[in-house]
Amino acid sequence: MHLSYLAGAEPRSIAEKLLRINWAALALAALIAVIGVASLYSVAGGTFSPWAERHAVRFVACTAMVLVVAMLPLRLWLGIAYPAYFLALGLLALVPFAGVEAMGARRWLDAGAATIQPSELMKVALGLMLARYYQWLPPERISRPLWVALPLLAIAVPVALTLKQPDLGTAALFAIVGLALMFLAGVSAYYFLAGGALAVVAMPIVWNNLHGYQRRRIEIFLDPDQDPLGAGYHIAQSKIALGSGGASGKGFMQGTQSQLDFLPEKHTDFIFTMFAEEWGFVGGAVLLALYAALLVTIFRLTLTCGHQFGRIVIASAGLVLFTYCFINVAMVTGLIPVVGVPLPLVSYGGTAMATMMFALGLALCAHVNRTENIRRVDMGWV
Amino acid sequence: MFIRHGDDPRQRADFSRRAFLLGAGQAAAFGVLGTRLFQLQVTEATRYAPLAEVNRISIQLLAPARGHITDRFGELLAGNIESYRAMLVPSLARDVPEVLARLARIVPLPADEQERIVARARRQTPNLPIVVLGDLAWEQVAEINLLAPQLPGIQTEVAGRRQYFRGHAVGHIVGYVGAVERAAMDDDPVLRLPGLRIGKAGVELGMEDVLRGKSGTVKYEVDARGRIIRNLEQNEPQRGSDVVLTIDTVLQEKVIARLKRERQGAAVAMDVATGEVVAMASMPTFDPSEIAGGVTQDAWQRLQNAAHDPMLNRAVRGQYPPGSTFKMVTALAALETDTVGLNERIECTGSYDLAGQSFRCWKRNGHGACDMHRALRESCDCYFYEIARRSGIDAIATMARRLGFAQTFQTGLSLQKSGLIPDPDWKLGRFGRSWLGGETLLAAIGQGYVLATPLQLAVMTARIATGRAVVPSLVRSGAGTPPPVFDPLSTRLASLDAVRRGMIAVVNEDGGTGHNAQLDEGPQVAGKTGTSQINRASTDRRQADLDWEERDHALFVGYAPATRPRYAVVAVIEHGGGGGATAAPVVRDIMKEVLARDPSARPSHPIARTG
Repeated sequence: MHLSYLAGAEPRSIAEKLLRINWAALALAALIAVIGVASLYSVAGGTFSPWAERHAVRFVACTAMVLVVAMLPLRLWLGIAYPAYFLALGLLALVPFAGVEAMGARRWLDAGAATIQPSELMKVALGLMLARYYQWLPPERISRPLWVALPLLAIAVPVALTLKQPDLGTAALFAIVGLALMFLAGVSAYYFLAGGALAVVAMPIVWNNLHGYQRRRIEIFLDPDQDPLGAGYHIAQSKIALGSGGASGKGFMQGTQSQLDFLPEKHTDFIFTMFAEEWGFVGGAVLLALYAALLVTIFRLTLTCGHQFGRIVIASAGLVLFTYCFINVAMVTGLIPVVGVPLPLVSYGGTAMATMMFALGLALCAHVNRTENIRRVDMGWV
Repeated sequence: MFIRHGDDPRQRADFSRRAFLLGAGQAAAFGVLGTRLFQLQVTEATRYAPLAEVNRISIQLLAPARGHITDRFGELLAGNIESYRAMLVPSLARDVPEVLARLARIVPLPADEQERIVARARRQTPNLPIVVLGDLAWEQVAEINLLAPQLPGIQTEVAGRRQYFRGHAVGHIVGYVGAVERAAMDDDPVLRLPGLRIGKAGVELGMEDVLRGKSGTVKYEVDARGRIIRNLEQNEPQRGSDVVLTIDTVLQEKVIARLKRERQGAAVAMDVATGEVVAMASMPTFDPSEIAGGVTQDAWQRLQNAAHDPMLNRAVRGQYPPGSTFKMVTALAALETDTVGLNERIECTGSYDLAGQSFRCWKRNGHGACDMHRALRESCDCYFYEIARRSGIDAIATMARRLGFAQTFQTGLSLQKSGLIPDPDWKLGRFGRSWLGGETLLAAIGQGYVLATPLQLAVMTARIATGRAVVPSLVRSGAGTPPPVFDPLSTRLASLDAVRRGMIAVVNEDGGTGHNAQLDEGPQVAGKTGTSQINRASTDRRQADLDWEERDHALFVGYAPATRPRYAVVAVIEHGGGGGATAAPVVRDIMKEVLARDPSARPSHPIARTG
């Protein structure tokens, strides 16, 4: 295969590329990460160890990675899109057999020295793969059934594999991001309407065919108040902490409800609760506004991008950020059941941060190379 | 093939349009998050704002009261009595060992018990209370409450304890409750409550979902020392629903008293029109009060190891070869397959040959020529060997299932056994060997592999008596529900009538094997005797000469009045010897009581409350 599909690719210097980077997006991400460091400092009872300092170091390292990813040639990402997807898929399929079990779910693969989480790889690869596909697919075919079924299948398989782990949060993320990207790519809205209608019709049928204990599990899942000391314990405590924070908060490092170990996972999934208890509604709203600003900045990049591949890669980064953010905050405020999804760039955790930042790096790479002229027809299948 | 360079402007514009649409959706989603945050932190904030900086909010689960179990007239069989107990909430106590040590100065609390509680407190959710002491006297409760300030985390509460009435009579039916062994995370959260009891046997187990109720919660604010400052929110627990049994306790006690004269066995009395079981007895019995009140290890072992297994409800868990009481099934199978004529006579010489093997009739020198009427009346084995050979095992098995064998019933009574109706498929699956013709003959007289529970025999009797697919019930549905209407059996009336006439003859005609079931006064009884062999030797010797364990089981199934059936009564007496000699009198005595208690037999209709 020849790589002539990047016709008109003019070589640029690193300096020229750096100039084209959208620094506003990186700045907003850094601001959010600083809030993360401050929150982790408070959670640890006013010390930088063990979480805050590592969070800061990781963010600096990730920022370097973002720049490297953005500087690399676009054709590299275009070229590895499909292989990356199938590699991620293969590793995901391996997890049930070779995976390491931790906290009741099999999500990790033990690769000698390091454990890898294939679903993290998939978060990046899914967007890349769809971007590559729609770059290749002629616009008039986008809404034909076969060409809709193909990406749908490519989304459904990783969703099913993560559901089995079980990792509901990630499965939801794949589904939301994948379907939203298909919508952006131009798949007819009728498919989405029909799919939604079908889901509504199918729900009671599925419900009636479930066993009693399965229904019971779903009922508690949907209404954790039924089980305030079990599944609903976290949510009930989180709501109390938020409420006790009030409008203006208890002040930095003053959060009693979350400080006193009532909150589990307070440095990871429930960090928003801690933040909003100490900074009140004002603080919570400001953090949400920062996320919204970052989202707007990212999605604006699609407007100036001159190729479908870049637009979808950029949108994919935005959608991963949005979905994480929404699921996490909706979860800790008791809007949706607990599914265990971190708050991007704020929650402690290296893998999730690396994934998010890598996606951001890809988006910036697409932006840097926004005027690239990608020829559709020579791309073939691979 | 088309070659396109660069971007398609229409595609680009379409992407932007859709991106705006998606952006609007995301903005709306963030709007929802902001609104929710505003609601929790501003609108409803006061509800969770602690009065003082150091205060916290704690959540606890409240246990529901268990539903009552009553007999059909509302007489209480299982209820709750109040008792006091002391609980410890580890998160409020902080220093658990110290608090327990202080408590031990007021009420007796052994050191090893203290250690157990401390260990438990370390393992579990700190907000889940642990039972420290049960069954406290009121004075002790008062003293604990008086010293409450020095006992953070200790709370006293009223706890419902299960109490059983007339346990010796209804123990097998009502069952008993016990501690939750291990609650899974996705089970009902109430199961994790300390001291909660759940059904372990009988209706207590079978109707657990109805009886249990739903837990409530209470949220309150506590200060730094664990004292409750105020209640923030309370959701009352939902009491479990009551269960009304179909059992008539007065009758039940009489049946138990009658059965006590035999050593081991079971009896069932059923309303054939409604399927309601009005009495169900199993001997020996046990009293659930001994178990539910927190049984000692000794007493439990004694019950478990007792020689005659008093915990076993023989009426639904005892599986017996039905013997000759099964002959109605064989008769109906042959009549329905038209392999025997109603008046056709078959010669009985005292033995029957099949493929070189000889099968004996219980009457050594034979009955002579028998038609169906006489064969049923005198329980001639050879007649049934012959018609079974003609109709085949599959026809017999089909008829048996139609009459209620090889199945359990949704009666609210759990842990029923389903008995066994063998057929070639079953044997191939079970033993990997094909069916033998001789096994059909054994099945025809209710021996061999055939097994049935007394409840199944009662269902069979009711179904033959009414010609309908009567389903037994032990729990009454709510007031106002119409009595159930059962589907007719797909069996010809002429066949049923022939069998019924045979059953009347068993009790009332000369030569019948069940004369002992005749009532001194009152309506005619129809029935059938059964004697199921325990071992081969028993045919050759007199029952009275055998050791008790070697004797045959005695069975009798019957219904009355013979012309307008109201009740079916079944008795199985383990090692009772002959069905006609031992089981028939039991059925007679029970039937007499059942008919005397029948509300429709009295001049005035209202149901009597007591007997």
